[in-house]
Amino acid sequence: MIAFDHVSIALGDFTLEDISFTVKKGEYFFIIGPSGAGKTILLEAIAGLHVPDQGRILLAGKDVSMIPPEQRGVGLVYQDYSLFPHMTVEKNIAFGLKMHHLPLPEIKNTVEGLLSRFGIEHLRSRATLTLSGGEMQRVALARALAIDPDVLLLDEPLSALDPGMKEHFIHVLKDIHQENGLTIIQVSHDRHEILSLGTRMALVMDGCLEQEGSVRQVYAAPASRRVAGFIGYENVIDGVVVSSRDGECLIDVSGVILRTSCTIPEGRKVTFCIGADEIVVHPIEAQVAGDENAVRGVVTAVSQAGYLTRVRIDAGITFSAVMVREAADTMALKVGSPVLFTIRKTAIRIIGQ
Amino acid sequence: MADSGGGSLWARYKRADSTLIAFSLIGSTLVILSFLALATITLTQLADLPFLIKVATDTRVINSILLTFGAGLTVVFILLLFGTPLAYVLARTHSRVNSLVEALIDIPLVLPHTVAGIMVYLLFMQRGLLGAPFKEIGIVFEDAFPGIVVAMLFVSIPFYVNTVREGFQKVPVHIENVARTLGATRFRAFILIVLPLSARQILNGSVLAWGRAISEFAAVIMIAYYPMIVSTLIYYRFTTGGLRESSAIAFLMILASFSIFLVLRIATRYLGRYDDRV
Repeated sequence: MIAFDHVSIALGDFTLEDISFTVKKGEYFFIIGPSGAGKTILLEAIAGLHVPDQGRILLAGKDVSMIPPEQRGVGLVYQDYSLFPHMTVEKNIAFGLKMHHLPLPEIKNTVEGLLSRFGIEHLRSRATLTLSGGEMQRVALARALAIDPDVLLLDEPLSALDPGMKEHFIHVLKDIHQENGLTIIQVSHDRHEILSLGTRMALVMDGCLEQEGSVRQVYAAPASRRVAGFIGYENVIDGVVVSSRDGECLIDVSGVILRTSCTIPEGRKVTFCIGADEIVVHPIEAQVAGDENAVRGVVTAVSQAGYLTRVRIDAGITFSAVMVREAADTMALKVGSPVLFTIRKTAIRIIGQ
Repeated sequence: MADSGGGSLWARYKRADSTLIAFSLIGSTLVILSFLALATITLTQLADLPFLIKVATDTRVINSILLTFGAGLTVVFILLLFGTPLAYVLARTHSRVNSLVEALIDIPLVLPHTVAGIMVYLLFMQRGLLGAPFKEIGIVFEDAFPGIVVAMLFVSIPFYVNTVREGFQKVPVHIENVARTLGATRFRAFILIVLPLSARQILNGSVLAWGRAISEFAAVIMIAYYPMIVSTLIYYRFTTGGLRESSAIAFLMILASFSIFLVLRIATRYLGRYDDRV
């Protein structure tokens, strides 16, 4: 559906370099990466707002590199919504339809449909600058959907909303995606959005594509140390394979031996990552099942993060774990407490495999 | 906060911001200067009302004022037509050429107006690089209306282009981008989105340029002493008829300009204001 074929774009001091990826029809594709990585430029390139210096951009198999935005049939919603401040809500939504010279009754119909779909009929004559964030978001989505685009581009659309609103819009977006069978490409920082909505994702850093794959794939096997760090793995650890037999190997991490499934030969250095939520902390005297990795350590820091308690444990190297607050309180964890923690074999994800 | 009311004079005094007070005192020097200048000429003129009326009904004076305002309007019209596209390009592109162009545009700002006048004269005189071909098609600049217009134009360009460029820059590129993805060509996005959103700045640029144009003297007399614009007429009357006559014309010019600016400001109070929250 959408393909970047070795695309390079230079804009001032910034360059996107040799980007290739594909988004299939009907996918909910996420582009993630740190600020300034070039995600927005990537979206704008799909919309036709930047012409590639090298490479081609394909839409539905056709090279559209030189086709201007007005002929691409791509909807775009920016983080700041970019509503037209000199037009009412209604006129904002009708803008695209007017540009496509549709007959007036049809424009009216479509606009009515969108107003009622997003529950904003009462806002029709309002000036856009008087709307709340959630209302602006609805208008921006309605305006983009009015032209019935093949692809919807969303540039961090939820980042300016409060948490309740955010949850609501995740459902709205899910509905839009399912009802219209629309291809959606969304830029985001938010792990929750990606895991709730995404089918596939690409990770961009410093203008380069670091990894592309299904959301599950990327989270299960980050391509590099910085990908692992960026997508939220708090434990990125170096070790050495000391034994490898029957698809299972033992990794030595500063004296701690961890067991995992892998076929990496003995003696090889590896980097792996473990989610903080995958490290389960027990009282020091607890009994644990035999096939899990069980490690003893000492708590070096305890901090509250909302409903969760974040614990750092020294076991030769430092592990980060999160646990529900209640469990931490029950165990009366404090700095200096000796603990036992367990890590499932499958929670140890070798990077770059 | 100093004037937020309530309390005795002493309490107000104690709450007052000493920096603001000091700055107000220093700054008022300039305000007083302007006020005194205005008051002096007004009082002298009102003291001699019959003469003022006589000058005001002098067709040469009326014609001169109309000529000046007309030439100023022509300049604004040319700037709207040529300056607006230039301002847009400067606002939306980031090439190295831009700073060169901007420096060129700004030249009249940093030159004595007589120098500007000589530059315009050399270019538009009958043997000039542009004056010669224009003469072929029957347009002469020396001592003619077109000469007044080009001299005024040259010195007004930076006022218009810079103001409008800033206006265009304030229109977020994102808004324009969205309009384009919705099916507007770049030109339509310019007409339907950028232009209305910078209407106020375009007006400001036009007013500034017009004001600059009608106030030009040195550059104009170099190429077109005749027909006399108001500045020329005032200078001429000053050197021949003396202060009495020239200050009467000056006062009329003040009245005319003031009323035009006032009417413009009132008429366009709400133009291009979308960011005032209701």
